[in-house]
Amino acid sequence: MTPAISVTGLTRGYRGHIALDRVTFDIEPGSITGLLGRNGAGKTTLLRILAGQEFPSAGQVHVFGASPAENDQVLRRMVLIREDQVYPDIKVRHALAAASWCYPGWSAELASRLLADFALPPDRPVKKLSRGMRSALGIVIGLAARAELTLFDEPYAGLDAVARQTFYDALLADYAEHPRTILLSTHLIDEAAGLFERVIVIDRGRIVLAAAADDLRGVAMTVSGPVLAVDDFTAGHQVWERRQIASQASVVMVGPLDEDDWARARSLRLDLEPLTLQQLVVHAAAQPAPDMTDESVMERTSA
Amino acid sequence: MRTWVSVARYHLVRPAIFVGMPWAIMAFSFVVNLIIFRLVPPSSHAVQTGHGVVQVMNTSHYTGAVAIIYVFFFIMGVFGTGASLPFGLALGVSRRSYYTGTALLAVALAAADGLALTVLQAIERATGGWGEDLHFFRVPYLLDGPWYLTWLTSFVGLALLFVYGMWFGIVYRRWNIAGNVSFIAAQVTVLLAVALLITWVHGWTGVGHFFTALSAAGLTGLLAALTAALLAGGYATVRRVTV
Repeated sequence: MTPAISVTGLTRGYRGHIALDRVTFDIEPGSITGLLGRNGAGKTTLLRILAGQEFPSAGQVHVFGASPAENDQVLRRMVLIREDQVYPDIKVRHALAAASWCYPGWSAELASRLLADFALPPDRPVKKLSRGMRSALGIVIGLAARAELTLFDEPYAGLDAVARQTFYDALLADYAEHPRTILLSTHLIDEAAGLFERVIVIDRGRIVLAAAADDLRGVAMTVSGPVLAVDDFTAGHQVWERRQIASQASVVMVGPLDEDDWARARSLRLDLEPLTLQQLVVHAAAQPAPDMTDESVMERTSA
Repeated sequence: MRTWVSVARYHLVRPAIFVGMPWAIMAFSFVVNLIIFRLVPPSSHAVQTGHGVVQVMNTSHYTGAVAIIYVFFFIMGVFGTGASLPFGLALGVSRRSYYTGTALLAVALAAADGLALTVLQAIERATGGWGEDLHFFRVPYLLDGPWYLTWLTSFVGLALLFVYGMWFGIVYRRWNIAGNVSFIAAQVTVLLAVALLITWVHGWTGVGHFFTALSAAGLTGLLAALTAALLAGGYATVRRVTV
């Protein structure tokens, strides 16, 4: 099967800094992938290049098997919803009408339902919308377009918790009925973690982690207890972080652990706590020479 | 083709800028002109005849106010590519299709509004200048010939300014104000180089002869060629735009 997205050695340099550094990954069609990373990590640049809005300095980008740059056949099958989208001086309903003309799969029914869910006034000029409402408009367009590849860049900036939940629910409900490939970048990792089948973590322009979400559970954990026991237990494992207060230590170690390990931890009276996705991302981003690509994660989790 | 039409429709989603505003301003300007020329006492000029010098009343009123719609077409072009481009590209449209769709809109609007100007000129002729001998839609030399030439010249002129504005909008989108300043400087430099070249080859007499001999139809042809050149320039620029 042709991957929905196939990126090889993608590099984008700007004057004085490298936004993307030899990024390589594939995304299979029909999945929800989280694109995670800190501010300035290169998430938006990556999504803009995928959507043909920005050009790569080097490397290959294929969407549905062809380059998206200036390719109408590919571009009309995808939508990019950006946090910083610039709109002309038009009203909400104008923006929706324009989107409906451009996307063959547009659902007017879904658009009007979401408009009501987010309480968006159709006759208000986009300029007069609050930050959250503007994000909601992007979400309505992104979901109602039902594009085969849907790219969301920080889609809920400024949205309150209730509206974010509305977004998650609407996304999952429509995804179930109309499967498509969704790539979503976000800071709110733990909140959105349940959505993702795969995650890609990017830091300073490089991919530091790319794996199925399921494989990541238990990949790393925090071991805490008496210093000697902790050090004994974590010996031979990669350690990401070590804290010590008096005779108590807390160490973040890379798994995986088998049944014997768990039994040993219990006998040593150690606390074992798997890292949440958010903690994992924070640690993955902090590693100087990360090797957390698919193969290595697979090896570790299946070992 | 379908994408081009979608782009043109996207521009017209708010018809005020492209249809309502230019004609509202034209109507306002027309009424102002009509009132002013009714208020102003007719001037006269001296004419030498066989019976000595005679004062002749000037009854024809000339005004260049029809230029307003041309200026407005330039503004439309700037809007069409400057403000509307990012959201257009966000809707899964390539730069090329966006540019082509916008240029098609320019051609359609120029043809329609050129025809409207032609009809209004015919009415102006038929009513003796709206009863005031007002030359609002008639411009000596340029827009003073048969109806089809008026249409053609208006069409080319309007399209030219729209396309020129599009190029400015694209440059602004890509390189902001500094880009537009450089863009103007580059154009001035080109004109200066041409002037220097003509001086260098002692060609000014030839240039003078060329333009005095040029008919309105010939000028229209020149403007059409210029429009094509501007269209190509904008096309080459839009492919480098990032949003």
